[in-house]
Amino acid sequence: MNASKQLKTLVQTTFATLSAIVMISGLASKLYSAEPNAAAPPNPDSASSPTNSVASQAKTPDAKPAAVKKQLTGAELYSMHCNRCHPERYPTERTAAQWKTIMLHMQVRVNLPGDQARLILQFLQENSGR
Amino acid sequence: MNKQTMKTRRWMFGLVTAGCALWLAAPLQAPAEVTDDAFNALRDTVQKLSEQVQGLQQSNIIQQQTHEKDVEQIQQLQEKLAETQQIATNAEQKSIEAAQAQPPARQPIDEATVNHNFMILGDAEFQYAKAAGQHGAFVQADFAPIFLYRGGDKILFEAGFDTTLQNGQNDAGTHDSGSSTSFDLSFAQLDYVMNDYMTLCVGDILLPLGTYTERGAGWLNKMPDDPLAVDALIPGSGIGAELQGGIPLGDSGKLLNYQVYGVNGPSSMDGTGSAGQLDLGGNVGIQSSGMTANLHGHPTGGARIGLFMPFKPHYDLELGVSGQSGEWDDMGSHLYTAGVLDAALHLGPSFEAKGEYIMARYGSDDHGLVNQQGWFVQAAYKLAGLNLELPVINNLELVGRYDSLHGAYDSNNDAFDFNTRRCTAGFVYYITNTLLFEGDYEFLRSTDPSQVDQLILQLSYGF
Repeated sequence: MNASKQLKTLVQTTFATLSAIVMISGLASKLYSAEPNAAAPPNPDSASSPTNSVASQAKTPDAKPAAVKKQLTGAELYSMHCNRCHPERYPTERTAAQWKTIMLHMQVRVNLPGDQARLILQFLQENSGR
Repeated sequence: MNKQTMKTRRWMFGLVTAGCALWLAAPLQAPAEVTDDAFNALRDTVQKLSEQVQGLQQSNIIQQQTHEKDVEQIQQLQEKLAETQQIATNAEQKSIEAAQAQPPARQPIDEATVNHNFMILGDAEFQYAKAAGQHGAFVQADFAPIFLYRGGDKILFEAGFDTTLQNGQNDAGTHDSGSSTSFDLSFAQLDYVMNDYMTLCVGDILLPLGTYTERGAGWLNKMPDDPLAVDALIPGSGIGAELQGGIPLGDSGKLLNYQVYGVNGPSSMDGTGSAGQLDLGGNVGIQSSGMTANLHGHPTGGARIGLFMPFKPHYDLELGVSGQSGEWDDMGSHLYTAGVLDAALHLGPSFEAKGEYIMARYGSDDHGLVNQQGWFVQAAYKLAGLNLELPVINNLELVGRYDSLHGAYDSNNDAFDFNTRRCTAGFVYYITNTLLFEGDYEFLRSTDPSQVDQLILQLSYGF
């Protein structure tokens, strides 16, 4: 009687221990599988060597880059026009409101188109003294 | 009940009865005897214990009182702590409100909130000059403020003045005496930006004959004096109206500039068509009598077309052609015509070259068709371009100019035979980007005896 009872107890204990081990292993494997996969699988159609770049993988063969119309920035227009006649004046020398007045004066003197004058003004005001 | 049990009970009763009898019969035991020493010892012990109890009671009272004081002190400290926390909270709240109330730093001002602005720009020049055969002298060469008033986004009023100090003359007119201050309005115009490509300018406008007058005068010029032909052959300003603007050509920054104007035009100092009477600076519309009238019958028209071609920042070429034509004598019998070719080149931030060819031609009663021309070429190189990284050298710019004037008027002989060639070598030292120390030496070759070699040192400030 006792022997069977002991055997029963041993079986129960062993089963409980194995169950605990299985549960813990399962949880651990889930945790590790949540990290990003850094090594993307290579494109089988590409002749080049496998790369880790995500951007290159996202590019489709049929995509063509849209033609970008380059426009001169305020800083470029400033360097182009603002020391043709006088030494360079630094944006920090004047306040934003003063630059607006000065730029109107310069627009008349140099015959600048309005949109270019506004871009230069924006550059000056963003870097103005106060 | 069986016999055994009865027997047992009989024995027990008997024993109890015997015991009671014995107890009643036995004499009372006498109490144990206590000695005096033991009693005294016990009394002392009790007394000591009593004293100890009293001491403990007193100590307990003191500790109780101390505890009460501590509790009271703790309460006070807690109240103070609460007050301090409240003060800190209030201070923090106030600092947050103050920070929010302060205007943000370096934020562009909303243009809707600053529609009007008044400024004074301009320049001032102070010279020391030594002409050949003359004594050297200090000269308050020029103080030229420019007033700018902006009313909104599209309206600008601008006016420039020239203030010069010059010797006067004695009453006999035989010697310099005293001084006179001249205050001249060099230009005063109202500008209205009609759209991105057209601006209307009216008033005493700077004339776009070449670019020197608009963009090269004062501290903008790297030489202490003007090119010969500019002052002698063409007017600098005129009363009238102008349409001007810039039209972009593509996205590279290339511009086509245009300026079209109409002004009262040159006039005659005595009203006649005598060549020597040409007046380039008069005819402002209000006569000396107060009457509003042009001195001759028709206004003068002119225009400039320019092409600005940037290759990259600091590399650009500008070419322009300009001219004007109109009557100049009171009768309207003769035309005055002027034409200018202008060019400006920048090759990097260190090198620039500019020049103009100026032609003036006008009919006259006495000299027929008067032809005058002149030109100048000026180049400058900043030594910072050598990348020597030396403190004085980096701020130094070498400047050279060659200019000529043919057919200037000789009032003594009533002739147009003054021809002058000038070669100028100079420098500009940039104390700051707006404070310049300039110097040049001018080599003159001229049929005009007043044109002699001279040294000029100038301190020029642009503001």
